[in-house]
Amino acid sequence: MRDGVFAARKGLPAVAVLTEEFRVQGEFIAKAVGMPGVPRVIIEHPCAGTGSANLERVARELAPRLIAALQEGHS
Amino acid sequence: MGAALKSPLRQSASEEQALEEFHARGWTDGLPVVIPTPERVERMLLAGGLDADLVLGEVGPSYAAASIEKVAVNAVMAGCLPDYFPVVIAAVRAVCEETFDLGVVQSTTHALAPVIIVNGPARAACGIASGWGALGPGHRANASIGRALRLVMTNIGGAQPGVTDMAVLGQPGKFTCCLGEAEELSPYAPLHVSRGLAAEQSAVTVVGVESPHSVIASPDGDDPEGPERIVRVIAGAIANAGSNSTYGGRGTTLVALNPNHARMVARRYATREALQQRLHELAVTPKSLLAQWAGASGRQVKNPASDEVVHAIAAPEKVVIVVAGGEGIYSAVFNTWGGGQHHVLPATREIALNEFCELPADRQAAKTKG
Repeated sequence: MRDGVFAARKGLPAVAVLTEEFRVQGEFIAKAVGMPGVPRVIIEHPCAGTGSANLERVARELAPRLIAALQEGHS
Repeated sequence: MGAALKSPLRQSASEEQALEEFHARGWTDGLPVVIPTPERVERMLLAGGLDADLVLGEVGPSYAAASIEKVAVNAVMAGCLPDYFPVVIAAVRAVCEETFDLGVVQSTTHALAPVIIVNGPARAACGIASGWGALGPGHRANASIGRALRLVMTNIGGAQPGVTDMAVLGQPGKFTCCLGEAEELSPYAPLHVSRGLAAEQSAVTVVGVESPHSVIASPDGDDPEGPERIVRVIAGAIANAGSNSTYGGRGTTLVALNPNHARMVARRYATREALQQRLHELAVTPKSLLAQWAGASGRQVKNPASDEVVHAIAAPEKVVIVVAGGEGIYSAVFNTWGGGQHHVLPATREIALNEFCELPADRQAAKTKG
């Protein structure tokens, strides 16, 4: 979330990607660093170490949600 | 008393009831705290001698302002005597240095905690232990100063386990972790002097690291290679399979040498800088060995068949050496994380010992043993 805010502050289109276990922490960080509305997409947990086939599935499902979040953030 | 304080005043029928409310609201570390009554907080404020509104820094991950008053409330809760408050103030200032990366130190899944190292006259003034069991139980100043910083990080910084503090297991040093340097028994210049302060000043140095890993070394005193054997064992404890820095160190490692080891090591490495340089050289892992572990660490090794080595300490200044503990065969290594924008750089801040206002007459009576 912090990275998403820093990128947005630099004027870059940004969407933070968090796994479900980090949703609450992410909301806290977004508020704490002064950008509670930074676009974010929540994905399943865990992702790390779940194998390339699963990561590919996660990425395929994530891609359209990322694009939608970017479009929403700039509409 | 109490009219000058800005913090909201809460009412409870008894201290027991107040304590239960503190626990219920997540304002403690899980252990009982001293209830911060206005009188107790004001006595702490007098010992700091600074304006209650003065802001020491912003405490991540909430980045809320740490005013002197808010820090005093937490110091009371931790069980600090007023005499300890200047040390707590310096420790809060140190962790709020931008380069300490406190926001991510508090939120990472890794088991980081700040170790507070105290140098100079403040050690004797506050009774901060630097010898036998300095990091263990039984030392009031060590325990309560480290705990005060933790409560500041919880109650001002907003770190709550599993919510904002995502440490997978955490570690006991997240309750409290404070010790003095055994300057009088050390062959080296005091740590704070090596970091730019004068010997007669008092200072805290904070280092963000894991829990201590005991290092055994019992070389023969007649063995001319004895000093080098100790240093090699320490280097081996730094570059181990489970440590983040083994895979390419960017963080700062802490080494606590007991005075006996320190004197032996200093026969070959007469200065901190010489020892830092040697640890940097020795704390390495061949890429061929690293490749066997690297997948588990989430990192890949380039050229795994080469003769190259990976340094667990990226540069000599990336290891802090402190002399502490009793005389014996055990020293300790505190390994590190390596994340954060600045890779959690250690920070040193002076302790302002002479700023306090005179407290009422029982101040001396309340002093801890030396």
